[in-house]
Amino acid sequence: MTRLNLVLLLAVLASALYLVRTQYESRRLYVELEKAITQNRKLEIENERLQIEKRAQATSLRVEKLAKDKLEMRSVTPAITQYVKQSDAAATRVIK
Amino acid sequence: MSRSVRYTSSPLLASKTPVWRSKFIVAVVALSFIGLACRAAYVQVLDNDFFQRQGEVRFVRTLELPANRGRILDRNGLILASSVPALSIWADPEDIVATHTQLHELAKLLDMPIAELKKKLEDEDKNFVWIKRLVDDAVAQKISKLGIKGIHQRMEYKRQYPEGETIAHVVGFTNIEDRGQEGIELAFNKELGGRAGSRRVIKDRLGRVVEDTREQVPPVDGKDLQLSIDSKMQFVAYQKLRDAVIANKAVAGSVVMLDAITGEVLAMANYPSYVPDKRQNMTGNQLRNRALTDTFEPGSVMKAFTVGLALETGRVKPETQIQTAPGRMQITGSTISDAHPHGLLTVQEVIQKSSNVGTVKMAMQMQPREMWEIFSQAGFGQKPQIAFPGVVSGRLRPYKTWRPIEQATMSYGYGLSVSLFQMARAYTVFGHDGQIIDTTLLKRDEPAVGVQVFSPKTALEVRKMLQMAAGPGGTGQKAQTLGYSVGGKSGTGYKQVGKSYGTDKDRKYRGWFVGMAPIDNPRVIVAVMIDEPRAGKYYGGDVAAPVFSELVQQALRMKSVQPDMSVKPQIVMHTVEESF
Repeated sequence: MTRLNLVLLLAVLASALYLVRTQYESRRLYVELEKAITQNRKLEIENERLQIEKRAQATSLRVEKLAKDKLEMRSVTPAITQYVKQSDAAATRVIK
Repeated sequence: MSRSVRYTSSPLLASKTPVWRSKFIVAVVALSFIGLACRAAYVQVLDNDFFQRQGEVRFVRTLELPANRGRILDRNGLILASSVPALSIWADPEDIVATHTQLHELAKLLDMPIAELKKKLEDEDKNFVWIKRLVDDAVAQKISKLGIKGIHQRMEYKRQYPEGETIAHVVGFTNIEDRGQEGIELAFNKELGGRAGSRRVIKDRLGRVVEDTREQVPPVDGKDLQLSIDSKMQFVAYQKLRDAVIANKAVAGSVVMLDAITGEVLAMANYPSYVPDKRQNMTGNQLRNRALTDTFEPGSVMKAFTVGLALETGRVKPETQIQTAPGRMQITGSTISDAHPHGLLTVQEVIQKSSNVGTVKMAMQMQPREMWEIFSQAGFGQKPQIAFPGVVSGRLRPYKTWRPIEQATMSYGYGLSVSLFQMARAYTVFGHDGQIIDTTLLKRDEPAVGVQVFSPKTALEVRKMLQMAAGPGGTGQKAQTLGYSVGGKSGTGYKQVGKSYGTDKDRKYRGWFVGMAPIDNPRVIVAVMIDEPRAGKYYGGDVAAPVFSELVQQALRMKSVQPDMSVKPQIVMHTVEESF
């Protein structure tokens, strides 16, 4: 009887310690997960910010200014445009 | 020690106590234990809410999960507005520990007078004071390096508008709480806004989240909104308008460009404008979306509708001749006159030369009710069905109150008021085969639903007249553009100053032009208005028509419409003959 009790006591102790460990481990992992989520969010934000930045660098105003001043380009007029007819088949190909 | 008493011989013990006393004590003690046990059971099992909550308060926290505000995109998916996080600085005045130099440094970083900063930190009753919201990232980092106790940072959202002033009036802006205040931001605030979520978590002693409780409400992000605006055309519109306003020393100007097939607004620009990110010193003058909120008397632009009605009802044909000499006429004692007297004109020429007398002669054959119905159907005096704050309906009085002179002046556009947007939309009647179409600021691909106002034949006839008006001998010749046939009507009006139109000296003008291109199968409808030009020229045909010309040119090219008029090509072709 005493022996059985002793075994049970040990079992309970072991299980309790294991529970503590698991709980600790789970919390540690959770903190890590949380960190990863935060990191993910940060990167998403950064992505959004960079996209806006990209857009701001490519506004029509800036493009036109650079094209005119740096590349010495000029605006198109119908007089310097060669118009080509696109057959229906070609048109659908382009859309695809 | 002679006074001491031995325990065994204590007189107190010697006295006989009644048995019930000890029993009573035992009972009382037992009862109090039972009471405690009951209380313990009650608190722990039956009514445990209060303590459960008190326990949670000590380690469970509710975190708000902010929802992203949706982006606003143009018709090609380019970003017009988007939210990015930015840091805000707040302080706990009770907690502040800072040296004098530290405070000075902080004030310098925040670009804020030291007195103002100190005033904010003075009130020790509060434990939350905003110092400055939405500061730049670099500044925020420098501030955290200062390491002042009691100064904290918090993440908030900042709205960014990469296109800046060119589209400010359409997109609008949000306030510091990321809520829409103007324009599309306000009109679609609900859709863009989304709903913040929340989660309850358990935090450890270091403030790290260690466990999720099950109560979690996921945030619902705001929807992205795709506008019908083409940011390239919008840019061109704004740029050309700005140049024209500056060149004419005008006060302001507006442009509206509609797709004649789908009814989408391709561009809507106003000048003066503002940069939505920098909103200090903004005035209503800059903020107003004039194209939608300002009304004026439409003038000659209305003649197209009067003539359209005359054609539709079979009263005249395009070739019918009308005597307009000597350039003025009397209606119940008032004189109506032409700016330049003409003689015998056909109906076509009445539009081309913009003759008031000719138009009035046609109008006086009509019933006021007919005219009112056509004007109403064309959207005058009606609120445009467009989701935008501050849209005005203009003014068109009920026909029962029209006096003959008013019927006469209304036929050529005086005595009623419209916005530039209404004017552009009204001209879809001529551009869309006699149908007035519903307009939208949101992208839509299918053709618009229209309501028939005139027959397609009448619309075509009026279109031809509009082409003549923009052609040789017309009032809007400067509207012509290389490669494309255009048609449109110019208008010039005196601005009302108080009750009159001003005297010759201090008269203020407004010039505008509404037209479409290409004339056989219109793709775009453009309306341009220049307010108070003061550089000598003030006719709509002189100040607004050139802007129309440039815009139509660009717009049709961007829509890859082939020119319908022959252009002398300036391309040198090197063709090489094949040799045998």
